[in-house]
Amino acid sequence: MKKKLVSALLVSTMAVSAFVGCGAAADDTAATETADATEEQAEASTEDAIANLIAATEGTVNIDLWCSETEEYQTVMKKLCDDFAAQYPDVDFNITLGAVSEADMKDRVLEDVEAAADVFIFPDDQLEALVKAGALNEVAAQYTYDMNETDTPATVEAAQYDGKQYGYPFTASNGYFLYYDKNQLSDEDVASWEALTAKAEELGKEVGCETANGWYLYGFFKGAGCSLTENEDQSNNCDWNNETGLAAAESLQSIASSKAYKSYGNDDLLANLNDGKVVAYVSGTWNVNAFSEAYGDGYAATKLPTFKVNGEDKQMASYSGYKFVGVNAYAENTGWSMLLAEYLTNATSQEAVYEATGEGPSNTEALAKASSPALDALAAQSEFAELQRVGGNYWSPAESLGKNILDGKVSQQVLDDAVAGITQPVE
Amino acid sequence: MKKIANYFKDFGYAVAHGDIWVKLSLLIMGAGYFGRKQIARGILMTLLQVGVISSIFGVFMPYLSKLNTLGTVQREEVFDILTMKKTVNDYDNSLLILLFGIIGVLVIVAFIALYIGNIKAVYRIQKMKEDGEHINSFLDDIASFKNERFHITLLTLPSIGVILINVIPILFMICIAFTNYDENHQPPTYLFTWIGIKNFVNLFTTSQTITFGYAFVRVLAWTLIWAVVATATTFLGGILLAQFINHEDTHFKGMWRSLFVITIGIPQFVTLLLISKMFGDSGIVNTFCSNVGITEFFRNIGLLNPGDSFIPFLSKPGWVHVNIILVNIWIGIPYQMLVATGILMNIPSDQIESAKIDGANKFQIFWKITMPYVLFITGPSLIQSVIQNINNFNVIYLLTYNYKTTNMAMANSHANEADLLITWLFRLTNEYSNFKMASAIGIVTFIICSALSLLTFSRMIGGDKEGVYR
Repeated sequence: MKKKLVSALLVSTMAVSAFVGCGAAADDTAATETADATEEQAEASTEDAIANLIAATEGTVNIDLWCSETEEYQTVMKKLCDDFAAQYPDVDFNITLGAVSEADMKDRVLEDVEAAADVFIFPDDQLEALVKAGALNEVAAQYTYDMNETDTPATVEAAQYDGKQYGYPFTASNGYFLYYDKNQLSDEDVASWEALTAKAEELGKEVGCETANGWYLYGFFKGAGCSLTENEDQSNNCDWNNETGLAAAESLQSIASSKAYKSYGNDDLLANLNDGKVVAYVSGTWNVNAFSEAYGDGYAATKLPTFKVNGEDKQMASYSGYKFVGVNAYAENTGWSMLLAEYLTNATSQEAVYEATGEGPSNTEALAKASSPALDALAAQSEFAELQRVGGNYWSPAESLGKNILDGKVSQQVLDDAVAGITQPVE
Repeated sequence: MKKIANYFKDFGYAVAHGDIWVKLSLLIMGAGYFGRKQIARGILMTLLQVGVISSIFGVFMPYLSKLNTLGTVQREEVFDILTMKKTVNDYDNSLLILLFGIIGVLVIVAFIALYIGNIKAVYRIQKMKEDGEHINSFLDDIASFKNERFHITLLTLPSIGVILINVIPILFMICIAFTNYDENHQPPTYLFTWIGIKNFVNLFTTSQTITFGYAFVRVLAWTLIWAVVATATTFLGGILLAQFINHEDTHFKGMWRSLFVITIGIPQFVTLLLISKMFGDSGIVNTFCSNVGITEFFRNIGLLNPGDSFIPFLSKPGWVHVNIILVNIWIGIPYQMLVATGILMNIPSDQIESAKIDGANKFQIFWKITMPYVLFITGPSLIQSVIQNINNFNVIYLLTYNYKTTNMAMANSHANEADLLITWLFRLTNEYSNFKMASAIGIVTFIICSALSLLTFSRMIGGDKEGVYR
């Protein structure tokens, strides 16, 4: 705590010096400029807006860009940034690339919004927290393309909050599906969890899904027909403790009681995958290389399996996942940051990103050119995938509920307590 | 109480009996010195007065005036589509208001103290003048900082440091505990405000939805058990190890000692992360145990349930507690061994020799002479390490960052059985941005630690136990 405070102190001192230094003056000029501009160029087009921006730009434009630390990302982003700068020869850019793991993006940005990167790439589950903290700049207008025409409606909608657009759709492949080894498992085997665990037991191998994790656990309950929704005040509605929920939990418990069923975190998964133990596992495009290397010519992917609830086969649902490019609400150069974000998410850039990383584009044109087992599996699962909108109180109780299911401790009481925790009021 | 009363009485007396210069000092702080021809001192004092007052009104007043609400104007921005420029209103930042408010209050308090002190000082000089004593010139004053007022010269920097990095952050944290600073109220975009003692009420409340009270009691109990057991085991282990290495029959003393010191050399977090992987549910130790049949054996003797396929070293309550302490013994003993070696070498040999002559055996000597002596010497540092262990973030967090609880009531307040107060607090701030509850927990931890140290230190060092060993 102390460390945090000291840094907060330092940060605030810096922020204050910024205020004292130039805050007032800059605000004034900005205000007058805006007023003038509205009068003179009421009917200007977007080209004029960019021309205005170029004309109004003096000196070097500094833009910080944070994206995933993987080598593929860093390389392709560096190239795209250079291309962007080359588009505007009259402007002197200084675009700095920072490596921040996407899972930590929200935490790193919220550490100090004012000092964080101007443009950053983040997964869709962080959108809400970032909007709530006021860290994202609203996409009030677009200048080089219109995402409503170029991108799939689902991704555009996923980047909205309260009816406002906050992110630029970037990739549409951040959901989960089933990887399997087709040399060992047949299509029938991967159709249901019951068949899958039976076959894996027979083979003496492992299959599974990270059950003690709310992100995956949701798929089972949603698939069974339960619901989890978010209220306006960020509290949740959840009915997992009804009869269907109990049946789903008991069914999952009996599936998980199989010796072959494992709930590995990512590290353990990769270790056991390389040992050749895991023959099918629920995961996403971030592990595409690991699975294709481990399975070789047996590498395959498909939609999630079904599971039996009250004797009926139910398709396991999932969260669809997207990545967005966001502009910091406190960006130094809002205009240029927005243009960079647009550039990074246009059709050609998305294609380049797909080629570098294998992640599925959200742009329809780029998507049409992309094809891989993983992306096809995602497309097959997309019918059962839901946009993730859930309040922060969901995760800890859901994780604990998953752990209870794995430990074979499901009861009405456990579900009641979990639902009480998930739906606890937000002050 | 009497002291405080006297403090203000002296001030009143000085004002009432002072001459025109003293009374003028009420307005212009340097006046009293000008009247006694201490021009430089007068100018400095007046400049200080002008500086402080103008900074209070220029810098701190805007924040101080909002301290009661922590700001009312939320950030609003307007983006102009045509110029791609953004206009932002003049918004309040609750965090800055709180911070500068605290500093402002401190400055004002310090200034009032200076003001009162100044009046007393000029009155004293008036007295000295009336009595015909020597009044210091400016050069005399400066020279005095090297002699009779040398302590001021020495202590100025450290005290400023203490105020900046200790007092202000602590006050700041205490204040946060009384606000609603959480994920829905994050500055600079959103405002937070005072909510009284609600956080503390929540911390001690238990209902089906608010489980902080339930979690708090359990986390606190484990924190205290952990701190005492961890300290005691490493301490005893360290002494025994040092005894063993120092024993006359032990060869290659240097080698043994360096072997254990090597464990210190490896950065702790690397070792801990490795251990947490090795002892994971599908880690290398579990694979080994199931291959050689230890897992089977544990199942047979009832330590594990029939269905368990692995040993939950770091994933079940009970198991995790024992294993954390064992791991801590392993990484903590070398430090204690080094400390103990130093002490053992300095035990007065006359006592041990006389005990030998009296026919005491080795164990009696160790138990009756060595241990009390070592305990006496290391007492204060033992308390210190209990406190350190209460806040031992590394060992707990790095070993159990993957721990998942099955206890719904714990999970509902984002805690788990392996958490210490400090790791719980870390998770609340880092993953859930719940700064208000974290501050409340922080204050409680602070109270526990300070109460513990005050109590034990005053017991140990108080009295004249030192005489016993002289």
